[in-house]
Amino acid sequence: MKGLENDLAELVGHGSLKTEPEDMFAYQSDATHYFAKGMPDAVVLPTSTEEVAAVVSYANKNQVPVTPRGAGSGLSGGCTPVKGGIVLDMKRMNKILEINRGNMTASVDAGVVLANFHKAVESQGLFYPPDPQSMTVCTIGGNVATRAGGPRGVKYGTTPHYVLGVEAVLPDGYIIQAGGKCVKQSVGYDLTHLFAGSEGTLGVITKANLRIMPLPPCHRTALVTCKSIEQAAEMVSEIIAAGTVPAMLELLMGMSVHVMNSMISPPAPIDGEAYLLMDIDGSESQVAEDSETLQTICRDMGAMEVRVIEDEKEAKTYWKARSSLYPLALTMAKKVVAEDVTVPRDKVPVFVREVQAMAGRLGLLVGLSGHAGDGNMHPTILYGEVNEEQEKLARQAISQIVRIGLALGGTISGEHGIGLHKSEYLEWDLGGAQIELMKRVKNAFDPNGIMNPGKLWLQGGAS
Amino acid sequence: MSFELNDFEEMMAKCSYCAFCQATCPVFLQDLLETHMPRARMSLAKACLVENTIPRTKHLEEILDRCLLCGNCERTCPAGIKVNDIVVAARKSMYKGKRKTFLERNFLNSFMQKRGMDWLHRTAFAVAKKIGRVPDGILNPRAQTFSKQFTGVFPAKGEKRATVAYFVGCATNSSYVETGKALLNVFTKNGIEVIVPEGLLCCGMPAIVEGDTETAYNMFMHNVRIFHKMEVDAVVTDCTTCGLMFKENGAKLAPAGTPLLEKVQGVAAKMWEATDYLNHLGLVDPPNQLDTKFTYHVPCHRAWSPTLAEAPRDVARQVPGAELCEMAEPESCCGAGGTFFVQHEELSGGIRGKKKAMIEDTGANTILTQCPACRGYLAAGCEEKVVMHPLDFLAQAYGVLDKTPQPKK
Repeated sequence: MKGLENDLAELVGHGSLKTEPEDMFAYQSDATHYFAKGMPDAVVLPTSTEEVAAVVSYANKNQVPVTPRGAGSGLSGGCTPVKGGIVLDMKRMNKILEINRGNMTASVDAGVVLANFHKAVESQGLFYPPDPQSMTVCTIGGNVATRAGGPRGVKYGTTPHYVLGVEAVLPDGYIIQAGGKCVKQSVGYDLTHLFAGSEGTLGVITKANLRIMPLPPCHRTALVTCKSIEQAAEMVSEIIAAGTVPAMLELLMGMSVHVMNSMISPPAPIDGEAYLLMDIDGSESQVAEDSETLQTICRDMGAMEVRVIEDEKEAKTYWKARSSLYPLALTMAKKVVAEDVTVPRDKVPVFVREVQAMAGRLGLLVGLSGHAGDGNMHPTILYGEVNEEQEKLARQAISQIVRIGLALGGTISGEHGIGLHKSEYLEWDLGGAQIELMKRVKNAFDPNGIMNPGKLWLQGGAS
Repeated sequence: MSFELNDFEEMMAKCSYCAFCQATCPVFLQDLLETHMPRARMSLAKACLVENTIPRTKHLEEILDRCLLCGNCERTCPAGIKVNDIVVAARKSMYKGKRKTFLERNFLNSFMQKRGMDWLHRTAFAVAKKIGRVPDGILNPRAQTFSKQFTGVFPAKGEKRATVAYFVGCATNSSYVETGKALLNVFTKNGIEVIVPEGLLCCGMPAIVEGDTETAYNMFMHNVRIFHKMEVDAVVTDCTTCGLMFKENGAKLAPAGTPLLEKVQGVAAKMWEATDYLNHLGLVDPPNQLDTKFTYHVPCHRAWSPTLAEAPRDVARQVPGAELCEMAEPESCCGAGGTFFVQHEELSGGIRGKKKAMIEDTGANTILTQCPACRGYLAAGCEEKVVMHPLDFLAQAYGVLDKTPQPKK
């Protein structure tokens, strides 16, 4: 691989290039390290779109795989370099290029960390809602590539709803500006939103134009204690149907609140089997009114307790703990596999019932703490022990969860993307014809199959 | 002697690879390379030193050395993984306490294990200065160390509210002598009697950083033997790192289930950072007017007391005319990391550059911080600012900065 190293050094210089085995080790996987790993041959840390173009067109000429990477915090194996080659670590392209209040848009480099962008817009009284729970580290390029979202999805949607345009490098080195900064666009195929969710298989997203909005002036957090998870799920459907949509509407199992309490102060009550955690936002009067409506719905449906958390600091601890739930899960289980099945909101109660029944039959612990307000349920297998038998049961459980979700008109991924982790079920969700069409699209962009090979469909690559 | 990497196996298995540690690791945020994030540091250590699946190389050593032990990752990790302890254990496993060259080791040991050897420190400093090799930020050793001038009992003025023993750290002892004096003056003025014992050694933290737990243990126990016999309300130190050593790390070194551990825990229970203790009791003597804008840099070794970072703000606010101008990220690292900056000049300089920009933005002319390493390193980087310990600030407000404290005859 000396040849590759020398060639890349000529393109980007030694400061932006790593090839030592220990560095390759650090780039073997994302958060799904237990699922698959792959050692890259080189890690390139570009600082400009031109460098990205130089590296990608070199790789295309020489048939070297290229795997773009944001924070490496993904939950689908999307940036795991399973076929080796070059990892393009985009984190050094991290400038916020523009925050345009007059047009309510912003332009950012792909490597901008989401929390930094949040901070920057919020300091100007502006708001960028998408909030994947890894927001302290994840990059906007990664968010666009995986159509990431979070709790605010219920009211505000996910990343693609805010993407107006992207700059992307195609495998042959061309740099395109798809879309733009206009809030209305009707010019040919929507390539911007083809890149959104492309998971690095079509090219490399280097910049994004994002829609922003005014920051809602008021917030209120509420915790609803429920007798059962079924009761909590029914409340979710009722709330959605009532038309009073909170900014966040999370379903939490009792055990989740139990581990979250290590970060919540003062601690939350632990007498419920399940909880709803909500954030209501808007103008002061709107928040007061909505909060009244939501409390009434929950009480009428027999909630054990509805607690409005008045103290801002205390409320923050709830949301911080919520965003840490994935890493916290490992403090209560030996292994954790988080799925991303999403169902229509009116089907949340049925989904919960069927998954609970299935878990009971298999004798497995399945967590259902998720963004229930948008149907993104995050069924999670919690292993008591890690052994052959448990793995077998877990695989069974996952495929049954997927079947249950799909039968209800759901989808296998709401916000994580497919990557490696869910490619097994892609065909169940899309069917052969759509996959065939996607492969043709892939072929048109990347005829040599260098971009993030091994992802989306089993075996990956071009057709 | 603990800090054995194998003991952390179960804890390391709790790492979900979530990558949240990227958010606060100062080394990662400077390098923006995943090799230098805590997740990778830990999994490399595990693969090489526990599982033996990758070879030990020079590069691996560099990666494990490129950690300030600031502890931000531990405070960020939702699973509560003790990454600092794991890095120390990894260094211990790699170097077996013998990383440094023979000369460096001897210097470290003699300087730390015998305070009478401070002439050696001064000589080395003078030689280094002559050949122009003194890294920017290293503290200048004084001929008249604190312990040569001030030991014994310093009685409280007015009604006595408490008696404390004072652990004098190496930096105060040899370089920031005025801070030690400030402590004596400010405490006694506020009705606190201070006892400065003779024969103290380095707290042991510099040896822990090297993974040399044996040297650390010996030095630490020497000090514990002095303090555990003293009948005092508290043991105070003006250095947050020495405090961390007494409060938390000592118990990790002492053998479990022995009377030694009880002694260690007894002293740990009484350990306070001096400003924190003073604020805990409250000022009885109101400070005079001091028209100044100040900002406060929170040392990384702060988690051992929940009130340690609020205390300097609280006491300084009681100085009429003193205005607190908070910087954007008071808790972010300054890059010093003890003597880390000596071996990692460029990296530390970059980290300090960010801090400096935040400090500039506040418009403050005085920077307060309790860590002598931060203090020296910030002072070298922010030449127009005055950097001082909160107790120096109070001493100035009381007008006792130059006063020579007198022990009871």
